[in-house]
Amino acid sequence: MASAKAIVSSFVEGAPPGELADVLADIKALTLSSPHLVDELGPAFKKYNEEQFATVKLPGASQPVIVSSHNSLGGDRYYDLESSVSFGFDHATQKASAVESYVAEGEAVDLAKSILKALSAYVKEHYPNAAYGVYPIENDSKVAIIIVANKYSPNNFWNGRWRSLYLFDPSSSSLEGSIKVDVHYYEDGNVRLLTNKAATASVPSGTGQAVVREIAAGEKKYQEELNRSFTSLSEGAFKALRRQLPVTRQKIEWDKVASYRLGQDIGGGSGRR
Amino acid sequence: MAAADPFDSALDLLRRLNPKHTAEHLNNIMALAPDLTEDLLSSVDQPLTVRRCKQTGRDYLLCDYNRDGDSYRSPWSNQFDPPLDEAGAGVGGVGPGGANEGAGEGAVPGERVRKMEIKANEAFDVYRELYYEGGVSSVYLWNLDDGFAGVVLLKKASPPNDGSSSGVWDSIHVFEASERGRTSNYRLTSTVILTLATRGAALGEVDLSGNMTRQVEQDLPVDNDDSHIANIGRLVEDMELKMRNLLQEVYFGKAKDVVGDLRSVGSLSEGQRDRETHRELIGSMRR
Repeated sequence: MASAKAIVSSFVEGAPPGELADVLADIKALTLSSPHLVDELGPAFKKYNEEQFATVKLPGASQPVIVSSHNSLGGDRYYDLESSVSFGFDHATQKASAVESYVAEGEAVDLAKSILKALSAYVKEHYPNAAYGVYPIENDSKVAIIIVANKYSPNNFWNGRWRSLYLFDPSSSSLEGSIKVDVHYYEDGNVRLLTNKAATASVPSGTGQAVVREIAAGEKKYQEELNRSFTSLSEGAFKALRRQLPVTRQKIEWDKVASYRLGQDIGGGSGRR
Repeated sequence: MAAADPFDSALDLLRRLNPKHTAEHLNNIMALAPDLTEDLLSSVDQPLTVRRCKQTGRDYLLCDYNRDGDSYRSPWSNQFDPPLDEAGAGVGGVGPGGANEGAGEGAVPGERVRKMEIKANEAFDVYRELYYEGGVSSVYLWNLDDGFAGVVLLKKASPPNDGSSSGVWDSIHVFEASERGRTSNYRLTSTVILTLATRGAALGEVDLSGNMTRQVEQDLPVDNDDSHIANIGRLVEDMELKMRNLLQEVYFGKAKDVVGDLRSVGSLSEGQRDRETHRELIGSMRR
């Protein structure tokens, strides 16, 4: 059986968008007899924040910045290329501290900044509330591009997150990444939409504008495809499970239900031979 | 602040973690807090398991209400599988006759209630065929001091059509009927567990899973035991119609709307300009 630490870590990693604090409160109430367990959750919080692209607003800044493995400086410090700052991040409380100026250097910084400029315009056109970032990675051989949009409405029992991650390799002009959508609805229930779409494209010109144009086209196509899938699931798999009304388009006459069996052959259910 | 009740916290956690893996989360919570095991098992609904009745060859559904230890009672034959050790228990359809809790302890109804159980299974078999056109149904009843209680179970799986999308529907309707002379008070708690998945080259993977619970209470006239079955039938039929509409709204309407709130397919500034133009137009018409 999994250890208690592994169990509570899996709960943290499974927290829906915007509900980490609620999940943590539940964990605390369930582990009252071993309160030290919560202190061991550091690595789980870090994994959650870096994978979910946690966002934080730095003092005096107008836009949130992202926490991910791609802009990590090690030791729970992260940087933002656009605002040229680095900051400490407390993974348990999701709060930033010790903001310092940070100037990124390297061969890929110019490309990253060029992508950033085009990305900023794109994000403003299609995301009402998103954070984004572009970071040189792997010794300046690639550039990581991240967009994360959150919308939390706990008063209406729903929360959602859209995450895009792309890695652009200028030497091969290849763009690879994924789009993940996570929506949670929990009024007298628990309904979850989880999607994952791999994205690959080639951007021969390799300019920042061209890279973002490719991303924009791919995301538009994906969202239209996802919207169509709601309709096809509703008309297809959902309808095949249960009819809204019987073929007769009438509700059952329960007083006469015993005669249904005698009066009409309603066919053999899968349970009968 | 008062410490939260661990049982409430366990339910809250199950309401937040991915509903597709409720069974796994439930096992993990019970490993952390073994004291909660019994309460959680009797209050958390999980997808139903199908078993074939050895006596009749018909499929039935397993839940806590037809379980005795590791054995489950078939509603078609009234026999436990595997058979119970004690001679007489679960055989012949006549149990102890008195009130029992129904769950997990030789839940065999008394003679009158077993007669209703047989008729209810026949009625809901018809219901299943008319609404689900397949699948499996089971009804289990048990005695209460002032009436009886029961559970109506329905399950249907649709196999992946052309290998792309699939779905599973589980309905669990637990009710209590309190008999008060010529009327009976029914309290119904219904849960539907619905799992849908689809995939494709342009779409990637989409998983839409979850469960919803609703309750209703109603007083209805009763002439004889057949009226009970008709009353419960109508209550379950109305509830399922309501819940099917609700699921449709949440799974396909709400989820899509939230995605649209996260990212706009159209340009936000153009949308803004259109709204301003529209407002100016309306304004100029008023002048």
